[in-house]
Amino acid sequence: MQMEIHNLTKVYTENRGLFPVSLEVEKGELIAVIGHNGAGKSTLLKMLASWLLPDSGHVLVDGINLENRLGVVRKIGFVPETPNLFDFFSVEYNLTLFARLFQVSPGRIEEILKEFNLLPFRDNKIQVLSKGLRQRVSIGRSLLADPPLLLFDEPTSGLDFEMTKEIYRLLRDFHASGKTIIFTSHRPEEIKTLATRVIMLHQGHLMFDGSPQDYFQSDVYNTTSLPC
Amino acid sequence: MLRNIITLTLNDLAIAFKNKTIFLIVFIPFFVFFSLKLVDRTAAEFKKINIGLIQTETYAPVILQTIISADKIFTVSRVSGEEEGKRWLKDKKLDGLLVRSEKEKGSVVLVVLKKESLQTLSIVESFSALQKAAEGNGINWISDIKTLQEGGIQKQTLPTWILMLVLLVGFIIMPAQVAEEKEKKLLLALLQTPMREIEWLSAKVLSGMVLILAAVLSLHLLGAFNPGNILSYAAFIVAGSFCFSSYGIFLGFLCRNQASARTLGVMFYLPHLLPSALSDFSQKLTAVAPFLPSYQFYEPVKAILLDEGNLSNLSLEWIYLLAVGVVTFFLSYLLMKKRWLM
Repeated sequence: MQMEIHNLTKVYTENRGLFPVSLEVEKGELIAVIGHNGAGKSTLLKMLASWLLPDSGHVLVDGINLENRLGVVRKIGFVPETPNLFDFFSVEYNLTLFARLFQVSPGRIEEILKEFNLLPFRDNKIQVLSKGLRQRVSIGRSLLADPPLLLFDEPTSGLDFEMTKEIYRLLRDFHASGKTIIFTSHRPEEIKTLATRVIMLHQGHLMFDGSPQDYFQSDVYNTTSLPC
Repeated sequence: MLRNIITLTLNDLAIAFKNKTIFLIVFIPFFVFFSLKLVDRTAAEFKKINIGLIQTETYAPVILQTIISADKIFTVSRVSGEEEGKRWLKDKKLDGLLVRSEKEKGSVVLVVLKKESLQTLSIVESFSALQKAAEGNGINWISDIKTLQEGGIQKQTLPTWILMLVLLVGFIIMPAQVAEEKEKKLLLALLQTPMREIEWLSAKVLSGMVLILAAVLSLHLLGAFNPGNILSYAAFIVAGSFCFSSYGIFLGFLCRNQASARTLGVMFYLPHLLPSALSDFSQKLTAVAPFLPSYQFYEPVKAILLDEGNLSNLSLEWIYLLAVGVVTFFLSYLLMKKRWLM
Protein backbone atom coordinates (compact mmCIF):
# COMPACT_ATOMS: atom_id res chain seq x y z
CA MET A 1 0.00 0.00 0.00
CA GLN A 2 1.51 3.31 -1.05
CA MET A 3 -0.98 5.61 0.63
CA GLU A 4 -3.57 5.06 3.33
CA ILE A 5 -6.12 7.76 4.06
CA HIS A 6 -7.98 7.30 7.34
CA ASN A 7 -11.09 9.39 8.11
CA LEU A 8 -9.59 12.53 6.60
CA THR A 9 -11.83 15.48 7.49
CA LYS A 10 -11.84 19.20 6.82
CA VAL A 11 -14.98 21.18 7.59
CA TYR A 12 -15.54 24.64 6.10
CA THR A 13 -19.32 24.83 6.51
CA GLU A 14 -22.08 22.32 7.16
CA ASN A 15 -21.97 20.89 3.64
CA ARG A 16 -18.64 22.22 2.37
CA GLY A 17 -15.29 20.63 2.97
CA LEU A 18 -14.32 17.01 3.16
CA PHE A 19 -16.20 14.73 5.53
CA PRO A 20 -14.55 11.62 6.84
CA VAL A 21 -12.98 10.00 3.80
CA SER A 22 -10.96 6.79 3.92
CA LEU A 23 -9.08 5.37 0.93
CA GLU A 24 -6.18 3.17 0.05
CA VAL A 25 -3.95 3.85 -2.92
CA GLU A 26 -1.84 1.12 -4.52
CA LYS A 27 1.48 1.77 -6.20
CA GLY A 28 1.17 2.54 -9.92
CA GLU A 29 -2.49 3.62 -9.88
CA LEU A 30 -3.68 6.57 -11.94
CA ILE A 31 -6.64 7.96 -10.06
CA ALA A 32 -9.08 10.62 -11.25
CA VAL A 33 -10.84 12.48 -8.45
CA ILE A 34 -14.04 13.96 -9.84
CA GLY A 35 -16.99 15.93 -8.55
CA HIS A 36 -18.84 19.22 -8.86
CA ASN A 37 -17.20 22.50 -7.90
CA GLY A 38 -17.00 22.55 -4.11
CA ALA A 39 -17.21 18.75 -3.87
CA GLY A 40 -13.93 18.61 -1.93
CA LYS A 41 -11.55 17.45 -4.71
CA SER A 42 -8.98 20.21 -4.27
CA THR A 43 -9.36 20.07 -0.50
CA LEU A 44 -8.45 16.37 -0.59
CA LEU A 45 -5.42 16.97 -2.82
CA LYS A 46 -4.24 19.97 -0.82
CA MET A 47 -4.38 17.95 2.37
CA LEU A 48 -2.40 15.15 0.72
CA ALA A 49 0.14 17.78 -0.33
CA SER A 50 0.23 19.25 3.21
CA TRP A 51 -1.06 22.58 1.92
CA LEU A 52 -4.01 22.23 4.26
CA LEU A 53 -4.02 20.61 7.66
CA PRO A 54 -6.95 18.25 8.30
CA ASP A 55 -9.35 18.81 11.18
CA SER A 56 -9.08 15.11 11.94
CA GLY A 57 -7.91 11.86 10.41
CA HIS A 58 -4.49 10.97 9.12
CA VAL A 59 -2.61 9.87 6.04
CA LEU A 60 0.22 7.36 5.78
CA VAL A 61 2.60 7.41 2.83
CA ASP A 62 4.69 4.23 2.68
CA GLY A 63 3.84 3.85 6.35
CA ILE A 64 5.03 7.35 7.28
CA ASN A 65 2.49 9.79 8.72
CA LEU A 66 1.97 12.86 6.55
CA GLU A 67 2.44 15.01 9.65
CA ASN A 68 6.11 14.07 9.43
CA ARG A 69 6.59 16.52 6.58
CA LEU A 70 10.30 16.02 6.18
CA GLY A 71 9.75 12.26 6.13
CA VAL A 72 7.37 12.33 3.16
CA VAL A 73 8.39 15.46 1.28
CA ARG A 74 10.52 13.55 -1.25
CA LYS A 75 7.74 11.02 -1.81
CA ILE A 76 5.05 13.44 -3.00
CA GLY A 77 5.11 15.97 -5.83
CA PHE A 78 2.19 18.41 -6.06
CA VAL A 79 1.25 20.47 -9.10
CA PRO A 80 -1.38 23.08 -8.14
CA GLU A 81 -3.99 24.38 -10.56
CA THR A 82 -2.29 27.79 -10.73
CA PRO A 83 1.49 27.49 -11.02
CA ASN A 84 3.11 29.03 -7.95
CA LEU A 85 6.50 30.15 -9.23
CA PHE A 86 8.77 33.11 -8.52
CA ASP A 87 7.47 35.32 -11.36
CA PHE A 88 10.32 37.84 -11.41
CA PHE A 89 12.94 35.15 -11.95
CA SER A 90 13.84 32.92 -14.86
CA VAL A 91 12.79 29.33 -15.48
CA GLU A 92 16.31 28.16 -14.68
CA TYR A 93 16.45 30.21 -11.46
CA ASN A 94 13.19 28.68 -10.26
CA LEU A 95 14.39 25.15 -10.95
CA THR A 96 17.85 25.83 -9.47
CA LEU A 97 16.36 27.23 -6.24
CA PHE A 98 14.25 24.13 -5.67
CA ALA A 99 17.01 21.78 -6.82
CA ARG A 100 19.25 23.27 -4.12
CA LEU A 101 16.56 22.82 -1.50
CA PHE A 102 16.05 19.21 -2.61
CA GLN A 103 19.83 18.82 -2.79
CA VAL A 104 19.70 17.30 -6.26
CA SER A 105 22.51 17.71 -8.77
CA PRO A 106 22.56 20.53 -11.35
CA GLY A 107 22.45 17.78 -13.99
CA ARG A 108 18.86 17.07 -12.92
CA ILE A 109 17.89 20.64 -13.90
CA GLU A 110 19.23 20.03 -17.40
CA GLU A 111 17.26 16.78 -17.58
CA ILE A 112 14.05 18.55 -16.56
CA LEU A 113 14.62 21.42 -19.00
CA LYS A 114 15.15 18.88 -21.80
CA GLU A 115 12.30 16.55 -20.81
CA PHE A 116 9.75 19.37 -20.69
CA ASN A 117 11.02 21.21 -23.79
CA LEU A 118 12.01 24.20 -21.67
CA LEU A 119 15.55 24.66 -22.98
CA PRO A 120 14.60 27.60 -25.28
CA PHE A 121 12.91 29.32 -22.33
CA ARG A 122 15.49 28.69 -19.62
CA ASP A 123 16.44 32.38 -19.34
CA ASN A 124 12.90 33.73 -19.71
CA LYS A 125 11.21 35.22 -16.70
CA ILE A 126 8.17 33.27 -15.54
CA GLN A 127 5.95 36.35 -15.84
CA VAL A 128 6.37 36.44 -19.63
CA LEU A 129 5.53 32.75 -20.17
CA SER A 130 2.14 31.41 -21.27
CA LYS A 131 0.05 29.43 -18.79
CA GLY A 132 0.95 26.20 -20.58
CA LEU A 133 4.67 26.87 -20.25
CA ARG A 134 4.28 27.85 -16.60
CA GLN A 135 2.43 24.61 -16.02
CA ARG A 136 5.33 22.71 -17.60
CA VAL A 137 7.80 24.49 -15.33
CA SER A 138 5.58 23.71 -12.35
CA ILE A 139 5.39 20.03 -13.28
CA GLY A 140 9.15 19.96 -13.91
CA ARG A 141 9.78 21.46 -10.49
CA SER A 142 7.59 18.86 -8.79
CA LEU A 143 9.67 16.12 -10.44
CA LEU A 144 13.07 17.45 -9.37
CA ALA A 145 13.34 14.97 -6.50
CA ASP A 146 11.74 12.23 -8.64
CA PRO A 147 8.88 11.51 -6.18
CA PRO A 148 7.01 8.22 -6.66
CA LEU A 149 3.60 9.85 -5.99
CA LEU A 150 2.33 12.80 -8.03
CA LEU A 151 -0.71 14.95 -7.29
CA PHE A 152 -2.20 17.18 -10.00
CA ASP A 153 -4.98 19.65 -9.25
CA GLU A 154 -6.92 20.32 -12.47
CA PRO A 155 -3.78 19.87 -14.61
CA THR A 156 -5.44 20.91 -17.89
CA SER A 157 -7.54 23.77 -16.55
CA GLY A 158 -7.27 26.82 -18.80
CA LEU A 159 -4.96 25.13 -21.30
CA ASP A 160 -5.46 25.01 -25.06
CA PHE A 161 -5.97 21.77 -27.00
CA GLU A 162 -2.30 21.25 -27.87
CA MET A 163 -1.11 21.86 -24.34
CA THR A 164 -3.85 19.62 -22.93
CA LYS A 165 -2.63 16.80 -25.21
CA GLU A 166 0.90 17.45 -24.03
CA ILE A 167 -0.19 17.13 -20.38
CA TYR A 168 -2.03 13.87 -21.18
CA ARG A 169 1.17 12.54 -22.77
CA LEU A 170 3.17 13.51 -19.70
CA LEU A 171 0.68 11.84 -17.34
CA ARG A 172 0.83 8.62 -19.41
CA ASP A 173 4.63 8.72 -19.44
CA PHE A 174 4.78 9.21 -15.65
CA HIS A 175 2.32 6.35 -15.17
CA ALA A 176 4.28 4.12 -17.55
CA SER A 177 7.45 4.84 -15.57
CA GLY A 178 5.74 3.38 -12.48
CA LYS A 179 4.64 6.51 -10.69
CA THR A 180 1.37 6.73 -8.79
CA ILE A 181 -0.77 9.65 -9.93
CA ILE A 182 -3.82 11.30 -8.43
CA PHE A 183 -5.44 14.11 -10.40
CA THR A 184 -8.64 16.10 -10.13
CA SER A 185 -10.70 16.60 -13.26
CA HIS A 186 -13.93 17.81 -14.79
CA ARG A 187 -13.28 16.28 -18.21
CA PRO A 188 -14.80 12.90 -19.18
CA GLU A 189 -12.12 12.20 -21.81
CA GLU A 190 -9.44 12.45 -19.13
CA ILE A 191 -11.24 9.87 -17.03
CA LYS A 192 -11.89 7.56 -19.97
CA THR A 193 -8.44 7.73 -21.56
CA LEU A 194 -6.16 8.18 -18.57
CA ALA A 195 -7.57 6.92 -15.29
CA THR A 196 -7.29 3.41 -13.94
CA ARG A 197 -9.56 4.30 -11.03
CA VAL A 198 -12.24 6.92 -10.39
CA ILE A 199 -13.08 8.51 -7.04
CA MET A 200 -16.15 10.69 -7.01
CA LEU A 201 -16.87 13.20 -4.29
CA HIS A 202 -20.15 15.02 -3.72
CA GLN A 203 -20.52 17.73 -1.07
CA GLY A 204 -17.46 16.38 0.65
CA HIS A 205 -18.62 12.76 0.76
CA LEU A 206 -17.17 9.81 -1.14
CA MET A 207 -19.88 8.70 -3.62
CA PHE A 208 -18.00 6.30 -5.89
CA ASP A 209 -14.71 4.43 -5.89
CA GLY A 210 -14.01 2.02 -8.74
CA SER A 211 -12.85 1.56 -12.31
CA PRO A 212 -13.77 4.05 -15.05
CA GLN A 213 -15.83 1.35 -16.80
CA ASP A 214 -17.86 0.74 -13.66
CA TYR A 215 -18.24 4.47 -13.10
CA PHE A 216 -19.79 5.14 -16.52
CA GLN A 217 -22.25 2.29 -15.98
CA SER A 218 -23.11 3.21 -12.42
CA ASP A 219 -26.21 4.87 -10.99
CA VAL A 220 -23.99 7.61 -9.64
CA TYR A 221 -22.94 8.56 -13.18
CA ASN A 222 -26.53 8.45 -14.44
CA THR A 223 -27.99 10.46 -11.57
CA THR A 224 -25.34 13.08 -10.90
CA SER A 225 -24.63 14.17 -14.49
CA LEU A 226 -20.95 14.06 -13.73
CA PRO A 227 -18.66 14.72 -15.39
CA CYS A 228 -19.83 17.39 -17.94
CA MET B 1 -19.50 55.12 -19.20
CA LEU B 2 -20.35 56.96 -15.99
CA ARG B 3 -22.18 53.89 -14.72
CA ASN B 4 -19.07 51.79 -15.30
CA ILE B 5 -16.89 54.32 -13.52
CA ILE B 6 -19.24 54.35 -10.53
CA THR B 7 -19.45 50.56 -10.52
CA LEU B 8 -15.66 50.23 -10.64
CA THR B 9 -15.18 52.90 -8.00
CA LEU B 10 -17.57 51.09 -5.68
CA ASN B 11 -15.72 47.88 -6.44
CA ASP B 12 -12.40 49.53 -5.55
CA LEU B 13 -13.87 50.84 -2.31
CA ALA B 14 -15.23 47.38 -1.53
CA ILE B 15 -11.76 45.95 -2.11
CA ALA B 16 -10.26 48.67 0.10
CA PHE B 17 -12.74 47.72 2.79
CA LYS B 18 -12.10 44.01 2.35
CA ASN B 19 -8.31 44.30 2.50
CA LYS B 20 -8.56 46.70 5.44
CA THR B 21 -6.98 49.67 3.61
CA ILE B 22 -10.03 51.66 4.67
CA PHE B 23 -8.93 51.28 8.29
CA LEU B 24 -5.90 53.44 7.52
CA ILE B 25 -8.18 56.28 6.51
CA VAL B 26 -9.71 56.19 9.96
CA PHE B 27 -6.64 55.11 11.86
CA ILE B 28 -4.11 57.76 10.74
CA PRO B 29 -6.17 60.86 11.65
CA PHE B 30 -7.25 59.23 14.89
CA PHE B 31 -3.69 58.30 15.79
CA VAL B 32 -2.22 61.72 14.94
CA PHE B 33 -4.99 63.41 16.95
CA PHE B 34 -4.28 61.15 19.90
CA SER B 35 -0.50 61.67 19.69
CA LEU B 36 -0.83 65.43 19.49
CA LYS B 37 -2.97 65.33 22.60
CA LEU B 38 -0.07 63.69 24.38
CA VAL B 39 2.51 66.26 23.26
CA ASP B 40 2.94 68.98 25.91
CA ARG B 41 1.54 71.94 24.07
CA THR B 42 -0.69 73.87 26.45
CA ALA B 43 0.33 77.40 27.32
CA ALA B 44 0.74 76.54 31.01
CA GLU B 45 2.99 73.59 30.28
CA PHE B 46 5.08 75.60 27.87
CA LYS B 47 5.52 78.73 29.95
CA LYS B 48 6.48 77.06 33.16
CA ILE B 49 10.15 76.23 32.87
CA ASN B 50 11.55 73.69 35.24
CA ILE B 51 14.91 75.09 36.23
CA GLY B 52 17.41 73.27 38.41
CA LEU B 53 19.58 74.93 41.06
CA ILE B 54 22.44 73.22 42.85
CA GLN B 55 21.92 73.30 46.62
CA THR B 56 25.56 73.97 47.50
CA GLU B 57 26.15 76.53 44.74
CA THR B 58 26.50 80.24 45.53
CA TYR B 59 24.54 82.10 42.88
CA ALA B 60 24.46 85.88 42.50
CA PRO B 61 21.65 87.04 44.85
CA VAL B 62 19.91 89.08 42.17
CA ILE B 63 19.66 86.10 39.86
CA LEU B 64 18.48 83.81 42.63
CA GLN B 65 15.81 86.22 43.90
CA THR B 66 14.56 86.96 40.39
CA ILE B 67 14.17 83.30 39.54
CA ILE B 68 12.41 82.46 42.78
CA SER B 69 10.06 85.41 42.56
CA ALA B 70 9.20 84.67 38.90
CA ASP B 71 7.10 81.67 39.95
CA LYS B 72 4.75 82.09 36.98
CA ILE B 73 7.64 81.46 34.63
CA PHE B 74 9.88 79.07 36.56
CA THR B 75 9.46 76.03 38.72
CA VAL B 76 12.62 75.70 40.76
CA SER B 77 14.02 72.30 41.69
CA ARG B 78 16.98 71.83 43.98
CA VAL B 79 19.55 69.17 43.12
CA SER B 80 22.41 67.98 45.31
CA GLY B 81 25.10 68.47 42.68
CA GLU B 82 25.90 68.99 39.02
CA GLU B 83 25.90 65.24 38.27
CA GLU B 84 22.43 64.78 39.72
CA GLY B 85 21.25 67.83 37.78
CA LYS B 86 22.55 66.34 34.53
CA ARG B 87 20.80 63.08 35.30
CA TRP B 88 17.55 64.96 35.89
CA LEU B 89 18.04 66.76 32.59
CA LYS B 90 18.41 63.44 30.78
CA ASP B 91 15.32 62.12 32.52
CA LYS B 92 13.50 65.27 31.44
CA LYS B 93 12.76 66.24 35.03
CA LEU B 94 14.49 69.56 34.33
CA ASP B 95 14.49 71.87 31.32
CA GLY B 96 17.73 73.56 32.33
CA LEU B 97 20.34 73.54 35.08
CA LEU B 98 22.11 76.65 36.34
CA VAL B 99 25.77 76.39 37.34
CA ARG B 100 27.80 79.34 38.65
CA SER B 101 30.17 80.67 35.98
CA GLU B 102 33.85 80.42 36.82
CA LYS B 103 34.82 82.89 34.13
CA GLU B 104 32.38 85.74 34.63
CA LYS B 105 31.49 86.77 38.14
CA GLY B 106 27.76 87.29 38.73
CA SER B 107 26.67 85.17 35.81
CA VAL B 108 25.67 81.54 35.31
CA VAL B 109 26.22 78.75 32.83
CA LEU B 110 23.01 77.19 31.51
CA VAL B 111 23.24 73.42 31.07
CA VAL B 112 20.60 71.98 28.70
CA LEU B 113 19.99 68.75 26.86
CA LYS B 114 20.03 70.30 23.40
CA LYS B 115 21.00 73.79 22.31
CA GLU B 116 18.58 73.82 19.38
CA SER B 117 15.36 73.26 21.25
CA LEU B 118 12.27 75.19 22.19
CA GLN B 119 13.01 74.82 25.89
CA THR B 120 16.50 76.36 25.58
CA LEU B 121 15.16 79.24 23.54
CA SER B 122 12.42 79.76 26.07
CA ILE B 123 14.85 79.79 29.02
CA VAL B 124 17.23 82.26 27.36
CA GLU B 125 14.39 84.59 26.36
CA SER B 126 12.87 84.49 29.84
CA PHE B 127 16.22 85.21 31.50
CA SER B 128 16.88 88.07 29.12
CA ALA B 129 13.47 89.61 29.85
CA LEU B 130 13.84 89.21 33.61
CA GLN B 131 17.35 90.65 33.56
CA LYS B 132 16.18 93.73 31.65
CA ALA B 133 13.37 94.24 34.15
CA ALA B 134 15.71 93.84 37.15
CA GLU B 135 18.92 95.54 36.05
CA GLY B 136 18.49 97.14 32.67
CA ASN B 137 21.40 96.48 30.34
CA GLY B 138 24.12 94.76 32.37
CA ILE B 139 26.31 91.78 31.69
CA ASN B 140 24.34 88.74 30.55
CA TRP B 141 23.21 86.54 33.40
CA ILE B 142 23.72 83.52 31.14
CA SER B 143 27.35 83.74 30.09
CA ASP B 144 27.49 80.35 28.36
CA ILE B 145 25.26 77.43 27.32
CA LYS B 146 26.49 73.88 27.68
CA THR B 147 24.71 70.92 26.07
CA LEU B 148 24.68 67.36 27.25
CA GLN B 149 24.12 66.01 23.76
CA GLU B 150 27.07 66.77 21.53
CA GLY B 151 26.92 67.44 17.80
CA GLY B 152 24.81 69.67 15.65
CA ILE B 153 21.18 69.39 14.76
CA GLN B 154 22.01 66.87 12.05
CA LYS B 155 23.58 64.45 14.50
CA GLN B 156 20.86 65.04 17.06
CA THR B 157 18.21 63.95 14.59
CA LEU B 158 20.22 60.88 13.57
CA PRO B 159 18.60 58.50 16.13
CA THR B 160 15.17 59.44 14.78
CA TRP B 161 16.24 58.71 11.20
CA ILE B 162 17.72 55.39 12.26
CA LEU B 163 14.54 54.48 14.10
CA MET B 164 12.54 55.36 10.99
CA LEU B 165 14.72 53.14 8.81
CA VAL B 166 14.57 50.19 11.17
CA LEU B 167 10.81 50.46 11.58
CA LEU B 168 10.30 50.95 7.84
CA VAL B 169 12.00 47.66 7.06
CA GLY B 170 10.43 45.91 10.04
CA PHE B 171 6.85 47.07 9.74
CA ILE B 172 6.39 47.96 6.08
CA ILE B 173 8.75 45.82 4.00
CA MET B 174 8.88 42.54 5.94
CA PRO B 175 5.11 42.00 6.45
CA ALA B 176 4.48 42.72 2.75
CA GLN B 177 7.20 40.25 1.71
CA VAL B 178 5.82 37.49 3.89
CA ALA B 179 2.24 38.16 2.83
CA GLU B 180 3.27 38.12 -0.84
CA GLU B 181 4.86 34.69 -0.45
CA LYS B 182 1.72 33.48 1.26
CA GLU B 183 -0.63 35.09 -1.27
CA LYS B 184 1.20 33.62 -4.28
CA LYS B 185 1.50 30.22 -2.55
CA LEU B 186 5.28 30.45 -2.84
CA LEU B 187 5.74 29.59 0.81
CA LEU B 188 3.63 26.47 0.33
CA ALA B 189 5.80 25.55 -2.65
CA LEU B 190 8.90 25.95 -0.50
CA LEU B 191 7.30 23.84 2.21
CA GLN B 192 7.12 20.98 -0.28
CA THR B 193 10.89 20.77 -0.16
CA PRO B 194 13.01 19.39 2.68
CA MET B 195 13.45 22.96 3.92
CA ARG B 196 12.59 23.32 7.63
CA GLU B 197 10.23 26.03 8.81
CA ILE B 198 12.92 27.43 11.05
CA GLU B 199 15.30 27.73 8.09
CA TRP B 200 12.80 29.80 6.14
CA LEU B 201 12.13 32.02 9.15
CA SER B 202 15.83 32.48 9.88
CA ALA B 203 16.50 33.39 6.25
CA LYS B 204 13.69 35.94 6.33
CA VAL B 205 14.97 37.50 9.57
CA LEU B 206 18.49 37.62 8.16
CA SER B 207 17.31 39.30 4.97
CA GLY B 208 15.51 41.92 7.06
CA MET B 209 18.63 42.46 9.17
CA VAL B 210 20.81 42.84 6.08
CA LEU B 211 18.41 45.45 4.67
CA ILE B 212 18.46 47.38 7.93
CA LEU B 213 22.24 47.18 8.33
CA ALA B 214 22.75 48.32 4.73
CA ALA B 215 20.39 51.27 5.26
CA VAL B 216 22.05 52.33 8.53
CA LEU B 217 25.53 51.95 7.07
CA SER B 218 24.58 54.05 4.05
CA LEU B 219 23.23 56.74 6.35
CA HIS B 220 26.51 56.88 8.27
CA LEU B 221 28.64 56.89 5.15
CA LEU B 222 26.60 59.61 3.45
CA GLY B 223 26.42 61.82 6.52
CA ALA B 224 29.93 60.99 7.77
CA PHE B 225 28.43 60.47 11.22
CA ASN B 226 30.65 59.08 13.95
CA PRO B 227 28.84 56.20 15.70
CA GLY B 228 30.57 56.81 19.05
CA ASN B 229 31.11 53.56 20.94
CA ILE B 230 31.10 51.35 17.87
CA LEU B 231 30.69 48.00 19.65
CA SER B 232 27.73 49.15 21.72
CA TYR B 233 26.22 50.84 18.69
CA ALA B 234 26.63 47.72 16.53
CA ALA B 235 25.15 45.57 19.30
CA PHE B 236 22.00 47.72 19.38
CA ILE B 237 21.65 47.93 15.63
CA VAL B 238 21.93 44.13 15.40
CA ALA B 239 19.48 43.58 18.28
CA GLY B 240 17.05 46.17 16.86
CA SER B 241 17.22 44.77 13.34
CA PHE B 242 16.62 41.25 14.69
CA CYS B 243 13.73 42.43 16.86
CA PHE B 244 11.91 44.41 14.18
CA SER B 245 12.57 41.98 11.31
CA SER B 246 11.14 39.18 13.41
CA TYR B 247 8.22 41.37 14.53
CA GLY B 248 7.50 42.30 10.89
CA ILE B 249 7.51 38.66 9.80
CA PHE B 250 5.03 37.88 12.55
CA LEU B 251 2.75 40.67 11.29
CA GLY B 252 3.06 39.21 7.78
CA PHE B 253 1.78 35.90 9.10
CA LEU B 254 -1.34 37.62 10.44
CA CYS B 255 -2.25 38.76 6.91
CA ARG B 256 -3.64 36.88 3.95
CA ASN B 257 -2.39 39.30 1.29
CA GLN B 258 -0.06 42.22 0.64
CA ALA B 259 -2.75 44.88 0.93
CA SER B 260 -3.67 43.70 4.43
CA ALA B 261 0.01 43.52 5.35
CA ARG B 262 0.58 47.10 4.21
CA THR B 263 -2.36 48.31 6.28
CA LEU B 264 -1.32 46.38 9.36
CA GLY B 265 2.30 47.53 8.86
CA VAL B 266 1.31 51.21 8.91
CA MET B 267 -0.88 50.60 11.94
CA PHE B 268 2.17 49.32 13.79
CA TYR B 269 4.70 51.68 12.20
CA LEU B 270 3.17 54.96 13.35
CA PRO B 271 2.45 53.96 16.97
CA HIS B 272 6.02 52.69 17.29
CA LEU B 273 7.64 55.66 15.58
CA LEU B 274 5.80 58.68 16.89
CA PRO B 275 5.72 58.12 20.67
CA SER B 276 9.41 57.24 20.65
CA ALA B 277 10.55 60.00 18.32
CA LEU B 278 8.32 62.60 19.99
CA SER B 279 9.20 61.57 23.52
CA ASP B 280 11.81 64.35 23.56
CA PHE B 281 9.00 66.88 23.41
CA SER B 282 6.65 65.40 25.93
CA GLN B 283 6.82 64.04 29.43
CA LYS B 284 3.50 62.27 28.86
CA LEU B 285 4.89 60.44 25.87
CA THR B 286 8.06 59.67 27.81
CA ALA B 287 5.84 57.90 30.33
CA VAL B 288 4.00 55.87 27.67
CA ALA B 289 6.80 55.15 25.20
CA PRO B 290 8.95 52.78 27.34
CA PHE B 291 6.39 50.04 26.82
CA LEU B 292 7.23 50.03 23.11
CA PRO B 293 10.22 48.08 21.76
CA SER B 294 10.89 51.02 19.44
CA TYR B 295 11.61 53.22 22.48
CA GLN B 296 13.90 50.55 23.93
CA PHE B 297 15.81 50.78 20.66
CA TYR B 298 15.62 54.54 20.16
CA GLU B 299 16.74 55.65 23.61
CA PRO B 300 19.91 53.50 23.76
CA VAL B 301 20.87 54.45 20.19
CA LYS B 302 20.38 58.10 21.13
CA ALA B 303 22.40 57.63 24.31
CA ILE B 304 25.24 55.94 22.43
CA LEU B 305 25.30 58.46 19.59
CA LEU B 306 24.79 61.63 21.62
CA ASP B 307 25.59 60.95 25.28
CA GLU B 308 28.50 58.50 25.10
CA GLY B 309 26.29 55.68 26.40
CA ASN B 310 27.46 52.10 26.15
CA LEU B 311 26.08 48.59 26.21
CA SER B 312 27.04 47.88 29.83
CA ASN B 313 24.61 50.61 31.02
CA LEU B 314 21.94 49.57 28.53
CA SER B 315 21.93 45.80 28.81
CA LEU B 316 18.28 45.61 29.93
CA GLU B 317 17.11 47.41 26.80
CA TRP B 318 19.30 45.14 24.68
CA ILE B 319 17.87 42.00 26.28
CA TYR B 320 14.35 43.39 25.90
CA LEU B 321 14.87 43.82 22.15
CA LEU B 322 16.23 40.30 21.80
CA ALA B 323 13.35 38.91 23.86
CA VAL B 324 10.73 40.61 21.66
CA GLY B 325 12.55 39.23 18.60
CA VAL B 326 12.64 35.70 20.01
CA VAL B 327 8.96 35.75 21.08
CA THR B 328 7.73 37.02 17.69
CA PHE B 329 10.00 34.53 15.92
CA PHE B 330 8.44 31.71 17.92
CA LEU B 331 4.90 32.97 17.25
CA SER B 332 5.68 33.10 13.52
CA TYR B 333 6.94 29.54 13.73
CA LEU B 334 3.67 28.39 15.32
CA LEU B 335 1.58 30.19 12.70
CA MET B 336 3.71 28.74 9.92
CA LYS B 337 3.26 25.24 11.33
CA LYS B 338 -0.50 25.80 11.37
CA ARG B 339 -0.40 27.11 7.74
CA TRP B 340 -2.09 30.24 9.08
CA LEU B 341 -4.06 32.07 6.36
CA MET B 342 -2.11 30.28 3.63
